[in-house]
Amino acid sequence: MADSISYFLMAWLDPSLLMLTAIGTLAGIYVGAIPGLSVTMATSILISFTFAWDVNDALALIVGIYTGGVYGGSRTAILLNIPGAPSSVATSFDGYPLAQQGEAGQAIGLSTVMSVIGGLLGTLVLASVAPYLSDMALQFAPRDYFLIAVLGLLLVGSLAAESLSRGIFAASLGAVIGLVGLDPVTADPRFTMGSMQLMGGIHYVVVMIGMFGVAEAFFQLHQLNVKPVRQNVDKIIPSLHLVLKFLPLSIRTSLIGVIVGALPGTGGDIASLFAYDHAKRSVKNPSKPFGQGAYEGLVAPETANNAAVGGAYVPMLTLGMPGDAVTAIIIGALVIHGLNPGPMLMIQTPHIFWFTVGNLALANIFLLIFGLTGIKVFAKVVELPKAILIPLILVLCVVGSYSLNSSMTEVYWMLGFGLLGYFMKIFRFQMGPVILGVILGPLMDETYRQAMSSVGDDSGAFLLALVTNPLSLILSMAVVLLLLSNTPLKAMLARRKTR
Amino acid sequence: MSKDTQLKAGERAFNGLLLLFSLGILYEAYQIAGLASINSPGAFPIMLGLIMTGSMLAILWGQRHHPKPDTRGALDEARQFTRQHFPLPIVVFSAMAIGYLVLLQLVGFLIATVLFLFVSQVYLRRGRWLASALITLGATAIIYALFKLLFQVYLP
Amino acid sequence: MIKQLLTGLALSAGTLAAVSPAFADYPERNVEGVIQWGAGGATDNVARSLTPHVEEALGTSIVLNNRPGGTGVIGMNTVMQKPANGYTVLYGAENPQLYPIMGLADFDYSAMTPINVIGQGLVVIAAPADKDWQNFGDLLDYAHEHPGELRMGGTGAGGLPSTVLAMVNSVDSLDVRNVTFGGDGPGITAMLGGHIDFMPLSLAAAQQHIASGRLKGLAVLTKASIEELPDTPPITDALPQIESYLPWGPFWAVAVRKDTPEEIVATLSDAYRKGVAHEDFQRFLAENGGKALNLQGEEAEQFLERWQSVTAWALQKAGSAKVSPEEVGIPKP
Repeated sequence: MADSISYFLMAWLDPSLLMLTAIGTLAGIYVGAIPGLSVTMATSILISFTFAWDVNDALALIVGIYTGGVYGGSRTAILLNIPGAPSSVATSFDGYPLAQQGEAGQAIGLSTVMSVIGGLLGTLVLASVAPYLSDMALQFAPRDYFLIAVLGLLLVGSLAAESLSRGIFAASLGAVIGLVGLDPVTADPRFTMGSMQLMGGIHYVVVMIGMFGVAEAFFQLHQLNVKPVRQNVDKIIPSLHLVLKFLPLSIRTSLIGVIVGALPGTGGDIASLFAYDHAKRSVKNPSKPFGQGAYEGLVAPETANNAAVGGAYVPMLTLGMPGDAVTAIIIGALVIHGLNPGPMLMIQTPHIFWFTVGNLALANIFLLIFGLTGIKVFAKVVELPKAILIPLILVLCVVGSYSLNSSMTEVYWMLGFGLLGYFMKIFRFQMGPVILGVILGPLMDETYRQAMSSVGDDSGAFLLALVTNPLSLILSMAVVLLLLSNTPLKAMLARRKTR
Repeated sequence: MSKDTQLKAGERAFNGLLLLFSLGILYEAYQIAGLASINSPGAFPIMLGLIMTGSMLAILWGQRHHPKPDTRGALDEARQFTRQHFPLPIVVFSAMAIGYLVLLQLVGFLIATVLFLFVSQVYLRRGRWLASALITLGATAIIYALFKLLFQVYLP
Repeated sequence: MIKQLLTGLALSAGTLAAVSPAFADYPERNVEGVIQWGAGGATDNVARSLTPHVEEALGTSIVLNNRPGGTGVIGMNTVMQKPANGYTVLYGAENPQLYPIMGLADFDYSAMTPINVIGQGLVVIAAPADKDWQNFGDLLDYAHEHPGELRMGGTGAGGLPSTVLAMVNSVDSLDVRNVTFGGDGPGITAMLGGHIDFMPLSLAAAQQHIASGRLKGLAVLTKASIEELPDTPPITDALPQIESYLPWGPFWAVAVRKDTPEEIVATLSDAYRKGVAHEDFQRFLAENGGKALNLQGEEAEQFLERWQSVTAWALQKAGSAKVSPEEVGIPKP
């Protein structure tokens, strides 16, 4: 026990580790904020500097970048409606409207505090129940991942505000975009139209930058002469009262984040969408209607995606199985430093576990400090005249999509999706479901086929398995409930009651 | 309420195009592996194609009684659509954006970006070339430093 | 006006042409490393432990990306779509050598320039620890009694598990359900949760989990038991007839596009040779049951051809090749 505490405090007491965590967090915030620069990329570049270092130094830097990077995506989502990373897509739903109402400062302040709360809760869960959580995560069979993907796709019901049919269409379109390329099982080309370029698939960040960033920029061109909203930057740090008010919600959404994050194969992007949906369903009287600047719509995804960081460490530290791309890089780093990041890690080198936990907690403290400074300057970005902002946004979108693959192909795709998004926006289609489809479509396809193969391609046995296994049964019931609440059936039932 | 349900100029045409597109997806999906098995590379795509077609039909069906846009004939509708959604600034800016992409490949990131930012800002702000020039140089320098120097991203 | 524009264009094209052959500066930026299998698998482990030593020798960062799917076709195709300038390298496994006979793609390693054949691995057939089977013979008996019921973790046609399955099926009958994952990493995760019943894995990916007691080894694909897993019997104990295919094992290689300039290939080969030879990496390979090869150029090509001809004809004999090796020009061993 005493050992654990001393390892936990190691990063807090050692000046150089303290510095590295701080630098990592700061760098992470900016990497995360720029669409096209991903945390994965930043970690893999920075990690190569660290091989000559002590292992703890390297880990401290990575933890900082990871924590900062997941948070950073919310900045551009709120200010410009361009999510810096897929895990911030849900943040833009209410964050951007808030910025348009002159509350960009408050939105960033609140999202910072909530990210820290989510991050700390995620760390707490990691520290207290990691082995149990990883055992639970292992219980998820392919059919359960399939059900999770179905659950996720049913979120269109709450993302597509007015028209369910349009939401369903947009989500399916997204799924089709996600499937473009070679089939992962048989390597058959799908929707590639014979093009070799398309065989590698379409990167979802391209879709995201195009449909959110470029389409929005085109829309803003209509309002060139509208004076930008003056940003109110007085009360940036949310009051304790406000934080306490959202505490129950943030605890629930953090739990969603940490669990989804701990499942190998799902991460912060899916977690934040689930959390947003949960907030929308469970909060009866939001500060403003959802989609028009509800604080709750900001709290939920921001707590969830940062809690997912702690979750992603769970399978990595307990089983040596990466929870996402960043933890895969960390595993590589541990190997280089002569450690065995497998299932024996916690037994052979328990200090790595407590060091990581302490470090995550520390990185979240730095996140609070760095996140809350400089907000005023950032909020002013929204006050820039549209005529200056729009060209800058376009350059940023171009650079971001180019840097994904160092090729112009992605840039043209991005612009194409921007145009499609502009048209779809004009005719009342929403962008959220498209991204949902892009993220979840491939997961659903892959897990459906794994589940089918597991039962010998017998659809009866497949359906039976969905209700006979306890975990699957719970998920199936959630699917049915969500389906009922999304369809006219609920309205019919409600009407009968009132009669 | 009527304002909400009234069809926008070009909406029927756009939805019609999406329906055609959905049918195209369905056809492409069928081409992948036919209907041989419920566990094939084409199974999920076919389902998606069906859902897209179905939801598009539902949208069109739901709109069949909605008031038509206040236009006289298809040509007028197209004209109204262009005027509403593609006014001159948008068309010019799109052209500049495409020009920017072409320039990127020809002359490299720095020159293309400076040109694009400067010209588009001067156009959108109708003058103010000094302020535009300063902002252009500043922004390009920041983006260049961030991507190329700090993160060693390869720029065209 | 137009004339001016054209001269401008010609000028810039001229400078481009004048600048581009200056390969002496390679590498002047990050190199992207595409791993054709998912995170946490054997290829991934090998790539991630080798790369830092290569970076040291190369003097630049190599950003690693997993592009799994389609038995690695997706990752390999990604590299083949990139410019042939040495800034994208493929970290591949043995699978591309089977693409032609599996009808997965019409290319194999001969469509690229090998930089290094890093090493060769051993195969272990693993199962969750709570299964009753003690060895591969028990599993075979069970499968004979319950044909088509066992769930085998696979990685797609031409992947290691399906190759091993084909070899087994050529001398015995093992009728199973093949559940496909994006690599041995996700497969192991599913096996830890008991969602599949067994999976042939490369030792590099499975060893740690067998040591931890969550998985158990039923057989190693060798003629005699091995040092790393002394308690796991060789597969010939249960299936003596399979001996004709042994020794067989996966390998890992690094390759770039065929048209990459020679100077760049030389720089890369040199860096990878030093990286593979690094004592830390050698120790990593040894600990994970791998045999270092460190082959370049001609030697690498010969190794690749030999491996392909041996395995392809074995699969043909087992009746699981979709296209005859003869048809795609693979000579008999």
